[in-house]
Amino acid sequence: MTTQTSTRKTPFSWFFDWYNQLPMVRRRTIIGYVFIMPFILGFILWFLVPALVAANLTFQRWNLISPPTYVGTANIERLFTDPILPQSLKATFLFTILSVPIGLVFAFFLAMLINTPIRGIAVFRTIYFLPSIVPAVASAVLWAWLLNTEFGLVNYFIRELGGPKIPWLQDPGWAIPAFIILSTWGVGGSMIIFLAGLQGIPEVYYEAAKLDGAGRFRQLWNITLPLMSPIIFFNLVMGFINSFQVFVSALLITNGGPQNATLFLVLYIYRTAFQSQNMGYAATLSWVLFFILMILSLIIFRVAGSRVYYENAD
Amino acid sequence: MKKLNMSRRDFLKMMGVSGASLAASAGLDPFLLHTLAQEPVQITFGGWGAVAEDEGVKAAIEVFQEEHPEIQVEWQHTPDAGEYGTVLLTNLAAGTAPDTSFILSDQYETLAANGVLMDITDRIANDPLLGQENYFFEPQEAYRSAGGGDGRWYGIGSTWVAPQIYYNADLFDEMGITPPGFLDDEIYDWDTFVEICKQLTVDTEGRHPDDAGFDSENIERYAVDWNWGWQFLGSVIHSNGGQYLTDELTFAMDTPEAIEALQRMVDLIYVHHVSPRSATLSDLGMTNTQMLDSGRLAMAVDGSWALSWINSNELGITVGSGAIPKIVQPASIMQAHFHSALASSQHPDEAWEWIRFLATPFYQTHFAKIGLWLPNQTSMLTEEGLQTWLTEGIHPDNYANFVTDYLPKYGIAVRLPSGYIEASNNFITPAFDALAAGSAAADVMPAAVQQANDVLAMAMQM
Repeated sequence: MTTQTSTRKTPFSWFFDWYNQLPMVRRRTIIGYVFIMPFILGFILWFLVPALVAANLTFQRWNLISPPTYVGTANIERLFTDPILPQSLKATFLFTILSVPIGLVFAFFLAMLINTPIRGIAVFRTIYFLPSIVPAVASAVLWAWLLNTEFGLVNYFIRELGGPKIPWLQDPGWAIPAFIILSTWGVGGSMIIFLAGLQGIPEVYYEAAKLDGAGRFRQLWNITLPLMSPIIFFNLVMGFINSFQVFVSALLITNGGPQNATLFLVLYIYRTAFQSQNMGYAATLSWVLFFILMILSLIIFRVAGSRVYYENAD
Repeated sequence: MKKLNMSRRDFLKMMGVSGASLAASAGLDPFLLHTLAQEPVQITFGGWGAVAEDEGVKAAIEVFQEEHPEIQVEWQHTPDAGEYGTVLLTNLAAGTAPDTSFILSDQYETLAANGVLMDITDRIANDPLLGQENYFFEPQEAYRSAGGGDGRWYGIGSTWVAPQIYYNADLFDEMGITPPGFLDDEIYDWDTFVEICKQLTVDTEGRHPDDAGFDSENIERYAVDWNWGWQFLGSVIHSNGGQYLTDELTFAMDTPEAIEALQRMVDLIYVHHVSPRSATLSDLGMTNTQMLDSGRLAMAVDGSWALSWINSNELGITVGSGAIPKIVQPASIMQAHFHSALASSQHPDEAWEWIRFLATPFYQTHFAKIGLWLPNQTSMLTEEGLQTWLTEGIHPDNYANFVTDYLPKYGIAVRLPSGYIEASNNFITPAFDALAAGSAAADVMPAAVQQANDVLAMAMQM
């Protein structure tokens, strides 16, 4: 009876029989692949396949209703005559160039603040972090109210201080600053990463610097910033990629307006695909976004990456 | 009790024999055979809408299914209209489109031209109710429903909606100002409208726009908040003898009449200071409804659908209504979505039954009563018909004039051509934004119209 049980085949016994005969190195390699399989599958399903489909669509015209038709390079040629694309790129670059540094400095400043050992610091940390966990839709609706020209709280305070009535979301010149304020409000995520970095700097460095007579600014410049440079670099790259993909707030608050001032590239792609019903051109625009991000990422790695200090690097 | 020892086969035999003899004796056998043989056919119905529309559709489904036990309707609801347009397109691409659907007016022509919508022309013509002469509010219904310009029907206009003025009747009473109405001699001409707007607008010191020292940056009460949607600006353009879209389905807002009309809209904000700058984004911040209710606004120009929330029952003020002012003639663009069956439906007959039901009085009355819709059937506009939907507290006293007098005379139906959404999103709306920010209409409109018409021309070639 006992013998019968031990020899009974389970559905995967063939696999375990084979696996148990392998040398240890091969077994570890297989386990490694099993662990990274969720990523590999995700990469294939959610990036590689859509990217290949988008590459194919670049040469098609497809309105989502009738079958796609081959149009050669018409979609690529359209990139050079499209009057909206330059406007969309301008909005996206302007927003990125302004919002990323401002966000980084602000998040770093907040992280330094909440790194101070004072009573009740956990409360402050929570308060500063909260905006970043408010869902994007809710925060968009909230800011639409706050930035309202006539009745918004922001304009109320500005006017109480003697300032003018700013048409935040009506004037193309003010719309990008409005979105920068909105994005700065949500820097809690970067702030927490900075905080973790700050807390990882051994206190002994500061003590030694103090003994040598270094002031607060000198400590910041010579200890904090160099040791934080990998984290600053990480937040820079992530902030840059995220800001290039700003979408939800623009869709909900201004829907690309006023006068296409906030028609960021991803919003333009979405609009072209699902409202203008031009999937082929939207796919072409997606590739434009991909190449821009790739080229600029390379530049950032080349320019800023070399200035990053890794304590444990060889 | 003694247990019956009966096999399953015996039991079925017995039930079959007794059932058949019962049916035969009652003369019901054809009916029974039919219903036993057929499960109810399931069809899907896609659409959008806020709570009122969602509940209205559910109520309609209940009534319909009582009348048609052989058909089950599954309501696929998306709250936002714009979002629904995207949902429908992706469903079409995936081959999972519903059997029947709301169709956005700006998608209708494109979908009809691409063969997505079922041709229901013959079904309407042969229908004993819908096929009756003068059943629909004409000529708009036939004009607009004949999508693609081939005279065929691919949907039935769910209803009619049109711009109107909502006003704070208490305030007009208090100030002794004659409010606008819908009859010819009650419609404001533009100069009178501006004059009255100036009387109604006050800054925080109680001064009016023409008074010395008037502070346009600190206005306590605005006279009018004018929705800057295309129907509203389009109506003003038609009122000045221009056109929003020509009969050839091209934008025509670069004509002198159109430019003059649009400039008057800009002037309401920047020259006369009687309208808030945020009118372009009326869905932000304090809505026109809250402004009316709180006394910070005297009039709101909005769609007739807004009557379902701008009414005396909902607000703390008495709400009155009237026609939008005329420049050279009264004009009002009438528009709304369609109910269509999709050509891909596996159940065209059942889909038609449901679409047909949506154009019968029950469904129309439900939405007309709550102020959301204007009926699309002439029978509901007769003396008797009006009694079935005009509701005290929702519809102001003079509301019958809107549908029986004003709209038949001055209502304008428009067709929105293929490519309209892209042209409008990319060029026309930004041009309207520029006007709302104070740009001169003559500087903005010609280029925008040219670019928008290029998009329409490109869409025509596809």
